[in-house]
Amino acid sequence: MFEWSEEHQMIRSAVREFVEKEVRPHREELEHGDMAPYELLRKLYKTFGLDVMAGASFDKRIAREEAAALAPMASASDDADGASEGSSGNAGMTMLPIIELCRCSPGMVTAMGVSVGLTAAAINGKGTIAQRKRWARDIATMEKIGAWAITEPNSGSDAFGSMQATARLDGDEFVLNGSKTFITNGPYADTIVFICKLDEGNPLNERRVVQFVLDAGMPGLEQSKPLRKMGMHSSPTGMLFLDDVRVGYDRLLGETLESFGGKAGREASKATFTMERTGVAAMALGIIERCLELCVPYAKERVQFGQPIGNYQLIQLKLANMEVARLNVQNLVFRVLEMSAAGKGMSLSEASAMKLYSAQIATQVAMEAVQLFGGNGYMAEYEVEQLARDAKVLQIYAGTDEIQITHIAKALLA
Amino acid sequence: MHVVVCVKQIPDPAVPGALNADHTLKREGKPILDESDSYGVEMALQLVDAAGGGEVTLISMAANEETAGLRTALAMGAAKAVLVSDPACAGSDALGTAKALAKAVERAGSVDLVLTATESSDGYTGTVPAQMAELLGWPALTFAKKVDIADGTVTIQRQTEAGYDTVQASLPALVSVTAGVVEPRYPSFKGIMAAKNKPVDICTAADLGLDGQLGWAGARQTITNVENAPARQAGEKFEDDGTGFEKVVSFLENLKVI
Ligand SMILES: Cc1cc2nc3c(=O)[nH]c(=O)nc-3n(C[C@H](O)[C@H](O)[C@H](O)COP(=O)(O)OP(=O)(O)OC[C@H]3O[C@@H](n4cnc5c(N)ncnc54)[C@H](O)[C@@H]3O)c2cc1C
Ligand SMILES: Cc1cc2nc3c(=O)[nH]c(=O)nc-3n(C[C@H](O)[C@H](O)[C@H](O)COP(=O)(O)OP(=O)(O)OC[C@H]3O[C@@H](n4cnc5c(N)ncnc54)[C@H](O)[C@@H]3O)c2cc1C
Repeated sequence: MFEWSEEHQMIRSAVREFVEKEVRPHREELEHGDMAPYELLRKLYKTFGLDVMAGASFDKRIAREEAAALAPMASASDDADGASEGSSGNAGMTMLPIIELCRCSPGMVTAMGVSVGLTAAAINGKGTIAQRKRWARDIATMEKIGAWAITEPNSGSDAFGSMQATARLDGDEFVLNGSKTFITNGPYADTIVFICKLDEGNPLNERRVVQFVLDAGMPGLEQSKPLRKMGMHSSPTGMLFLDDVRVGYDRLLGETLESFGGKAGREASKATFTMERTGVAAMALGIIERCLELCVPYAKERVQFGQPIGNYQLIQLKLANMEVARLNVQNLVFRVLEMSAAGKGMSLSEASAMKLYSAQIATQVAMEAVQLFGGNGYMAEYEVEQLARDAKVLQIYAGTDEIQITHIAKALLA
Repeated sequence: MHVVVCVKQIPDPAVPGALNADHTLKREGKPILDESDSYGVEMALQLVDAAGGGEVTLISMAANEETAGLRTALAMGAAKAVLVSDPACAGSDALGTAKALAKAVERAGSVDLVLTATESSDGYTGTVPAQMAELLGWPALTFAKKVDIADGTVTIQRQTEAGYDTVQASLPALVSVTAGVVEPRYPSFKGIMAAKNKPVDICTAADLGLDGQLGWAGARQTITNVENAPARQAGEKFEDDGTGFEKVVSFLENLKVI
């Protein structure tokens, strides 16, 4: 694959038109007001039939697994394509809306990705069929908004090691305690995947990691207001506080503690990390494309010292570097599509390399776009200012640059 | 109910257009669905829905067997298309175009209603719809801003300067719809993926029994010259010294607007 197919191009232009007509007019409210992104995201899903498609593919997969459970002989082969659900048929359908939304409002992608990507994937990956029907379907169709909560005030990069949130068995119920922070959709989520450690009276570092599904409004669960932050304003981020939240086994993902051999729990999260990291490459591409689209005409039009600034080699260097970045990141995205079409999964280390490069180069491109625009670049009106603030977080969430480097190096030196 | 929509595939207006030496439009890049026709497509889909079933067929005449614009309309939900494409069509005038499209309607099978736009965005003679209706021997109802179908009749609100006239005819009939009558839907992703497998019946002038009647051979119109539209005159400028409103009032009075 060296270019988008004709169908991809149709999808792209349809989504681009939608973004220009339905999203861009709200940019001001999304950026500087209190507008949450969810109604616009639902509209996007409805307009392009993504809600119906997600529901149908969910139902089909559940039906297949239910049939396989009745006839276990057939199940082995079916399992192979299980993990790639959503991305299987046509990963371009997932990537293109990410790219197009990021050209205007990267935060909307964060809000969407954490919900339909991370949260639904966590429930689908570890949950029983009953749990998936109960929570994951509504998230996949965007009816409900999901949050995925692992980070804590004292545990970020070292997510599992220093995690303090706990679940304690009390009869046939669990009592959950702890606080989570920087949780995307936290303030408004209907459904929350809460990741914590099982306190069996053993030392912290020997405790098993377990995941629970919570609903907004449960006694003892508090969702904070959105935190003020540098960028990604269209993605509400908040804190969660759990004070003796009591839940039954029906909310423990997998419904049995046996399904969480310490290692299996970690593996499930790793699969989710891979998906998240490739998604960041698509986000970076949208940001870089938009920067170029804004910078090229500006370089031609802005006159200083009697010439368009595009005549100066220092400006040309910026544009050329942006184009190189665009080509590189686009090729990475194409590789994700090709691998998905071939039914091949990407290693965590490759996904990390992809994320590391894309995040760094998108930030660099967006900062250079600000520079190219001069004083205007620093003004909110000129949009590159927003893109630069938004791009920065790509180097922090979904694993910081430094953590990606450790993952890549670990695989190389193993 | 079977509704046919004429959809013109035109050069992308975002790309600067150019003329050939014979004054015809260069049609080289990938054409797009004329936005004017997206309203007809939407209207047709809604009418078929309201009728409780049926099908929408697209009809187009375009060079080089181009289907890019048709695919957009197929992705919106049309079932199939008839495309007249033949080097012999080059140079067709509006009447030639109408002949080809009328024959294509016949080729599409039993049809209840044909929808067109009132004028295309590139040629905009606005003459094709009435000519087609005449060739088909059907009533032409033009400038529709609302279309209803019931019991074998079509009723439209025909846009006028003062408001609208209600016009009715028996089916089959041809209706031209004005821009903005309905909100054209976005194609769904599923629709886009399905569009590539929908049938497009590509036919030539000979297939339509119009050998020698289309293109330069059949055109009764010749384009003798094309000139740029006169540049817009600069307006009058006034500095508002507090009496600007008087200038505006007298200007409007001169125009007999007030
Ligand atoms: C906008 C936004 C949305 C987020 N959404 C979510 C969400 O939905 N759910 C969720 O659970 N979390 C979310 N997070 C949290 C995010 O994943 C963490 O912020 C991130 O993993 C970094 O953790 P930290 O903030 O604790 O930084 P720290 O881990 O404290 O890192 C501080 C610095 O030390 C570096 N560092 C740490 N360890 C090492 C090491 N071993 N070697 C070298 N350098 C190291 C880091 O790279 C960083 O530069 C979000 C964060 C943001 C900003
Ligand atoms: C300067 C000039 C250059 C031209 N160059 C060319 C050329 O290079 N090649 C060429 O083939 N023709 C050319 N034409 C002819 C012209 O583009 C049209 O094919 C023809 O005259 C139809 O006229 P219109 O677009 O004004 O239709 P209108 O009467 O304005 O169209 C009304 C409606 O009829 C339908 N309709 C019209 N045409 C088609 C179509 N082709 N397919 C489907 N539906 C249609 C649409 O619904 C349209 O909205 C040229 C005309 C002019 C004036």
